[in-house]
Amino acid sequence: MIKLHFDHSNQQYNLDLSSAGKSYRAAMGDKIVDIEIIQANNGKLDLLIDGERVIAYVSSDNAKRWVTIHGQTFVLTKSPRARRGGHGHPHAAGELTAPMPGQIRALNVSEGEAVPKGQTLLVLEAMKMEIRVQAPFDGVVSTISVKAGEIVEREQILVKIDHG
Amino acid sequence: MFKKILIANRGEIAIRIMRACRELGIRTVAVYSDADKNALHVQHADEAIHIGPAASKESYLDMEKIIAAAKKTNADAIHPGYGFLSENASFAAAVAASQLTFIGPSAESIRLMGDKAESKIRMKQAGVPTVPGVEGIGAENDFKKAAKEIGYPVLVKAAAGGGGKGMRVVQDEGELSEAIESARREALHAFGDERLLIEKYIPNAHHVEIQVFGDQHGNLFHLFERECSVQRRHQKIIEETPSPLLTPELRAEMGEAAVRAARAVNYFNAGTVEFIFDPDLASLRHGSGQAFFFLEMNTRLQVEHPITELVVGLDLVQWQMRVAAGERFPFTQSHFTQRGHAIECRLYAEDPASGFLPSTGKLLQFSEPRGPGIRVDSGFTIGDEVTHFYDPLLAKLIVHAEDRERAIQRMQAALKDFIVHGVLTNIDFLQAVLAHPDFANGEVTTRWVETNFNWAPPSEPSFEALVAAVLAEVTVPGSRFQVSGSRYQVPGLNEVDPYSPWKTGSGFRMGAN
Repeated sequence: MIKLHFDHSNQQYNLDLSSAGKSYRAAMGDKIVDIEIIQANNGKLDLLIDGERVIAYVSSDNAKRWVTIHGQTFVLTKSPRARRGGHGHPHAAGELTAPMPGQIRALNVSEGEAVPKGQTLLVLEAMKMEIRVQAPFDGVVSTISVKAGEIVEREQILVKIDHG
Repeated sequence: MFKKILIANRGEIAIRIMRACRELGIRTVAVYSDADKNALHVQHADEAIHIGPAASKESYLDMEKIIAAAKKTNADAIHPGYGFLSENASFAAAVAASQLTFIGPSAESIRLMGDKAESKIRMKQAGVPTVPGVEGIGAENDFKKAAKEIGYPVLVKAAAGGGGKGMRVVQDEGELSEAIESARREALHAFGDERLLIEKYIPNAHHVEIQVFGDQHGNLFHLFERECSVQRRHQKIIEETPSPLLTPELRAEMGEAAVRAARAVNYFNAGTVEFIFDPDLASLRHGSGQAFFFLEMNTRLQVEHPITELVVGLDLVQWQMRVAAGERFPFTQSHFTQRGHAIECRLYAEDPASGFLPSTGKLLQFSEPRGPGIRVDSGFTIGDEVTHFYDPLLAKLIVHAEDRERAIQRMQAALKDFIVHGVLTNIDFLQAVLAHPDFANGEVTTRWVETNFNWAPPSEPSFEALVAAVLAEVTVPGSRFQVSGSRYQVPGLNEVDPYSPWKTGSGFRMGAN
């Protein structure tokens, strides 16, 4: 039997998969299904799940799994181990990162400045759009890591806000 | 007729134009930037010329490089597509000055309509209804005064604008200053022109536009309307024709107004006259009550042109080339009728759950729907990289059916068959709009998405989806996954497909060592 863990929207789902002859059995908690793989080709799975025909499209991209069933797509992240409660954020709450690559158009605050929630801290231009990076809560600008005009990468830390 | 045309564009529209060229026996030249070396539009062309780095400014927006590429390949005309240089009057003039044909209207028509302030004055003269507003002012105080006269809410927008860029809705005087500043900055950046105009904001507006088409011999007609009210960030995402709101009388009235508008700038080739339409005004109107107002004219082929093609039965892109070559448009207004109903959905690589931010990545799966009445105009294929350099439009899914209800059903079924992995898309979002009673009742206004439509993606994956993700682990060709001491077999998969997306996941090897 193998154990697999997937993350989706800060929730973890733990599944067990075992093989039984030509078919498989998957379990998540008390949900158990028997699966027969009719065909698996180029990321398209033709399955019988408890006798019901299901067509699933699945792709993998490092830890990410893209699954489409009945026209609905989910992006799951495979995690190497089960989580024990809570969930880690990749960045601390006050660290604002670039949602996509782009250029800093305007920097509206300076270090040490108190900012109310919702204030535009800087303007990022990406794909010909203006994206306003706003204060997520009332606080003080502790670090500004970019300059106006600078090209930034996705996920690059732009500004850090401390709770005021 | 032309022997060779250079297409000064990329993505789906470049391919759409190349298809029309091929049907007319015209050879095609693609241009491409560093980011598009392997792009689909390059593969579709007979020849391709590299025009510079990924940034549009140094490639697709560089007039000199594009004209030089046309000269070098002995092309006799340039089709600009939409976006990029398509509404740039200097480009149209430069193309003509280089003894090449610009496939579109005259540079003068583009210039007149491209200036939102000047065009508004012209439209008033031509008897085309316009939104109350003031153009030709610059000082913040003048805007303040104008806004007070017009009455809040007002709209501040770029005089050179289009596509929702450099446009801000202002609810009260306190917001005016920041709106002017940011609209100006965006306008300067997008169009190289920071002039703004101000007008009354009509909150419950529908966006209804009229396709016009004319030749260089004075024949100019309208090809009915497109209802484009489903918008996000001021950009259309679903378009349809006929509009569920127009009466035959209103349709005829708007069509005539659109032709008047186009005639006022001596228009020829394909163009679109956009109107703001308020159905409340239409139902209340008595005699002189006005229900629609001129918004702007797009002096080019429109993204959503396919729905008109399907309902009217014309190939607009072919006709663009034919009239550019001097042919007559051999129809009369009464020749045209609307047959059935067509809808277009724009599939974007974006995340509707976080403000429609564009999503980038490599397309791990890209499978388009097929079937009767289904047309897909796309610029991507599996394995392509969706980059942040250009507009995140992946494809246009267009359906045609006998009536609106059946067209919606056809669209819903087709969207279910559109599989895109590797970037986030708006497919689920589009489905939710199509299934909404407001959409069914034709009650969607241009602000509906931001104000009335609370959509969130499902918070939990279905159990079936999780099961499928688990099975992916065992259906990988060459997987080293050990289960119960024996190597997993891959049922139904006897050969290793070198292009299989299964092969990309090094993460699959978990547990191998």
